[in-house]
Amino acid sequence: MSADPAAFRFVSTNRRVREDRRFVAGQGHFVADVALEGLLHVAILPSQHPAARIVSIDVSAALAMPGVHYVLTGDELAAATDPLMNGLDTPNVRRHPLAVGQTRYAGEWVVAVVAESRALAEDATEKVRVIYEPLPFVMTAAEALKPDSPPVHPAHGSNVLLDRTFVWGEVEKHFAASPRKLSFRVTWGRSSTVPIETFGVAASWDPWRDMLDVWASIQMPKYPDQIARALRIPANNVRVHQDVDVGGSYGVKRGIKQTVLVAHLARRLGRPVRLIEDRLENMRGGDAHGPERIFDVDVAFNDDGIVRSMKIRALDNAGAYAGRAPFQLGKPIGAIVGPYQIESVQYRAQSVTSNKAVQEAVRGFGQAPTNYAIETAIDKVAAATGLARIEVRRRNFIRKDQFPYLIPSGSTYDSGDYHTVVDKVFAHIDFASMEKERDRLRASGLLAGIGIAACLEPSGANSSFEPLLNEKNTTTTWMDSCRIVVDALGFVTVTIHNTSSGQGHETLVSTVVGEVLQIDPDLIRVIRPDSLACLPSNSPVGSRMAIMLGGAAFHAAQKLKTKLTRIGAHQFGVADDKAAYANGSVASNDKQLAWIDLVTIAHRQYHMLPEGMEPGLESTHVMQVPTGGTLPKDGRVQMYPCHSFEFHVVLMAIDPALGKPEIRRYVIGHDCGTVINPHIVKGMTLGGLAHGLGAALLEEFVYDDEGHLMTQSFMDYLLPSAHEVPEVEIVHHCTPSPFTVFGQKGSGESGYLGAPAAISAAVNDCVSPLGISFNKLPIRISASAMPSPTRNKANRKSKPNDHRLPRPSGAAEPAGIDPLAGRAIPVDPPDRGRRQPRILLRRRQADPAGVETAERSARPPEMDGRTENRASGGRRLARYVRLRSAGGGGRGLVAPDQYPSGADRDARTALRAARHRAAAGRRARRRSAARGACRGL
Amino acid sequence: MKLDIGGVETIGVPVEALWKALNDPAVLTRCIPGCKTMTEIAPDAYKVELQLRVAAVGGSFEGEISLADKTPPKTCSIKVSGAGTLGHGNGSARFEIAPEGPDTSRLTFQGNGEIGGLVAGVGQRILSSVSKHLVGRFFVALRKEVETPAEGAA
Repeated sequence: MSADPAAFRFVSTNRRVREDRRFVAGQGHFVADVALEGLLHVAILPSQHPAARIVSIDVSAALAMPGVHYVLTGDELAAATDPLMNGLDTPNVRRHPLAVGQTRYAGEWVVAVVAESRALAEDATEKVRVIYEPLPFVMTAAEALKPDSPPVHPAHGSNVLLDRTFVWGEVEKHFAASPRKLSFRVTWGRSSTVPIETFGVAASWDPWRDMLDVWASIQMPKYPDQIARALRIPANNVRVHQDVDVGGSYGVKRGIKQTVLVAHLARRLGRPVRLIEDRLENMRGGDAHGPERIFDVDVAFNDDGIVRSMKIRALDNAGAYAGRAPFQLGKPIGAIVGPYQIESVQYRAQSVTSNKAVQEAVRGFGQAPTNYAIETAIDKVAAATGLARIEVRRRNFIRKDQFPYLIPSGSTYDSGDYHTVVDKVFAHIDFASMEKERDRLRASGLLAGIGIAACLEPSGANSSFEPLLNEKNTTTTWMDSCRIVVDALGFVTVTIHNTSSGQGHETLVSTVVGEVLQIDPDLIRVIRPDSLACLPSNSPVGSRMAIMLGGAAFHAAQKLKTKLTRIGAHQFGVADDKAAYANGSVASNDKQLAWIDLVTIAHRQYHMLPEGMEPGLESTHVMQVPTGGTLPKDGRVQMYPCHSFEFHVVLMAIDPALGKPEIRRYVIGHDCGTVINPHIVKGMTLGGLAHGLGAALLEEFVYDDEGHLMTQSFMDYLLPSAHEVPEVEIVHHCTPSPFTVFGQKGSGESGYLGAPAAISAAVNDCVSPLGISFNKLPIRISASAMPSPTRNKANRKSKPNDHRLPRPSGAAEPAGIDPLAGRAIPVDPPDRGRRQPRILLRRRQADPAGVETAERSARPPEMDGRTENRASGGRRLARYVRLRSAGGGGRGLVAPDQYPSGADRDARTALRAARHRAAAGRRARRRSAARGACRGL
Repeated sequence: MKLDIGGVETIGVPVEALWKALNDPAVLTRCIPGCKTMTEIAPDAYKVELQLRVAAVGGSFEGEISLADKTPPKTCSIKVSGAGTLGHGNGSARFEIAPEGPDTSRLTFQGNGEIGGLVAGVGQRILSSVSKHLVGRFFVALRKEVETPAEGAA
């Protein structure tokens, strides 16, 4: 089925992305642009407690305010609607849009106020009086796993949503037979995709037509079905308008609770109602956090670095309700060995509830954390065997000639040529010179390192993980569809049956249909009908649209081409296979019928059509996921059909005084098969890298010990900015997939799936001379560099002050080791004596094993006289940080410092020791230089 | 989040006068920043309404203040709890008043509290300086309240 890339006319060519024009001109049409007459607005009252019984809610004062139309509580909504869909078989973990009876996380939505304007609604939420009775709560996955932890859902009996162990192959035998083994733990912090446009939804109800109209910023499979089910109305009474642009998603725009809430209000009030989350509602209660996962990994290998078997235990903190979190442990099963020939795997997937916000699907659906664990394992095997990290990868890679390759967990990888991609990247960067550059940087006093990561992007999503993790689920298809209509004037309109959150579907479909029909894609209109006019489709998730929508468009166009050819052949009086379609015309020998003639026959001249042919020109195709269609057997299933490959190389430098990781060079080798539009793939890759950089170094939803989210705004939840995101060099390679129409694979998650692993590896290579390593993301190393020794001395000299500043409980002295995990520590001590406010740095959730000491002995980095200047630079930076913080100002340099982990602080000690060693070395050098000078005299 | 609070203040009135002022709801209403009303609901227990601004966000709080373990005119424990749209908080502190001179008292206070809701999640960076600022405003007002009449008499 795959076509010859050289023969493409439009596919893979340098064509503009059709959607860009309207976005660049500010003419996107988002949910906030939907104008509805008589629109009412919703604001939300959140819970202030991580867990509390709702004793009473008094809405009278709010209702009495002019302009307020309604105040909705959880009890009323729960009585009128069914609980939201739960993918697992956990019937007692019920989830409603508004808390019922008790709240389960700080920020959970408790009351919704409807008013003439959003501002009025917000004011009215302040008048709602809720009496709470605080309940015990649990924040960490490790705690939640304990049988005596406070259950988030008492009716469920425990906090365990999922605990399933898979054994694929002879794991124990391979471990017993392997001469070398190692074990480690890595932790993926809770971050997400955090789109600039928060979730928004507007709904109106027409009682005379029994029709619920919904406009939403949505990227959600089976969205209309879920609305209908929750509202207990027929599905054909729900009409979702899919021509609403979505301002960013990558998984999280699945606002089902928001939609059920707003739809109920629209029906209840008989007026259109809209809820557009503000940033705080979105961050703390939009139920859009991502995975938070602890990996315990055992690896069995030999002295040659060949990895034979792995045991992975993944413990995920799902948050207060099941959401999609447990399934994000399931999808990575489809690429559980990464690009490596690992013979057997044991995988234990554990998902627990906690009193944190709910998870939603995030780009890669759990693959990026898993790739981080796998790549860390390979780096550790390299360290243990003394082999180069790239050598271990090369030895373990699946070879090009082994595809299609069946991995132990039941998926067949379609194609790949990992060795060639690596070779191309290494040739592009001249790896030896990059190593020299790293050594030069180290010699200049910087901590410098190179990180590499080789990761897979499974693509063409089906939902095989659902039946795999829930036996009651028997889904074996996840189709997508396309319809092509040629009107009587000969113009082509293609309908697609999804929303778009920026993936460029219109460009994709017009390119594919143009390619097949050999007509200019710019002449093809692409529309998105409302859900009631749609063909069966799922949503643009799981890197599937190039494969699935591209495939559906291809097949629909082929059917249309066949029909046109038959019409032509009939006129010529020849057999169908004696006529040929080319460039819109059908020809046979010396006879030819032009496009408009064929169109006219189809639309107006039934008497000229072949017998039995339907008039008009229309074709549809509903596409099944390639390779999909079977239920799991013995814990094995074919997951996604295609597997893109990405190989990252990062050169990083960290100034030991500033502690700010600085990416000096970033190169990615990328192979997603046949590229349909190079600009879209490039944009996905660059955006994915930035996203991955955030997950690796900046972004985290941090909860304090009392269960409150400390990073609710962009002042605290730090997104990568132009300051942090490097220029990226992309090295392309194309290994077509045998399972898709053009050989294309997915690329919607590219960059993100490998960047965190690569950046983590680079940081760890930077600090390896200090004998430490970081095993938690995000790594916020810059806190480690402060305070400098000089500033500590000044601090010690400062007198204790009677006017003690308020400080958090358990505050430790800056230089000390924090005795209590999870407590805040103050830094920026030099100003303490001057009664200025301190910044408070709060460490992340406790993991005493935040830092590891490398097996090999610590070697002090070479440093020169610049170190002292840098130390004073550190003082300047500290002051800058303080000023910025005190002013409540923006971000930037302050960024990574806010939540140092235990790892950060241990690293701080190590860095300080390095500085001392460097200073001692300088003194010794000065002495010997002086001696040499004397001898010279 | 948890918050520790403490300090020492020197106030230019005798111990007894300071004790009396600190036990007078009318004085406290005028001194507690943002306090709109303070109603006695039981002996040594009061209901308070506050209107406060923390950085860019402002809001109203309702709460209760109670005094306990009183040893006039030396020591007293105070418990505060409150809730509003911006958050909730509760805390307790211990006061000690000792003479520092003939017309001067030294007031030492030490306590801790817990803050939740929006103020904790969004205001965390500035919460310690805000609480310090609020304590400062209380004492500025208290001094004005208790020290001014003495000057007038002199």
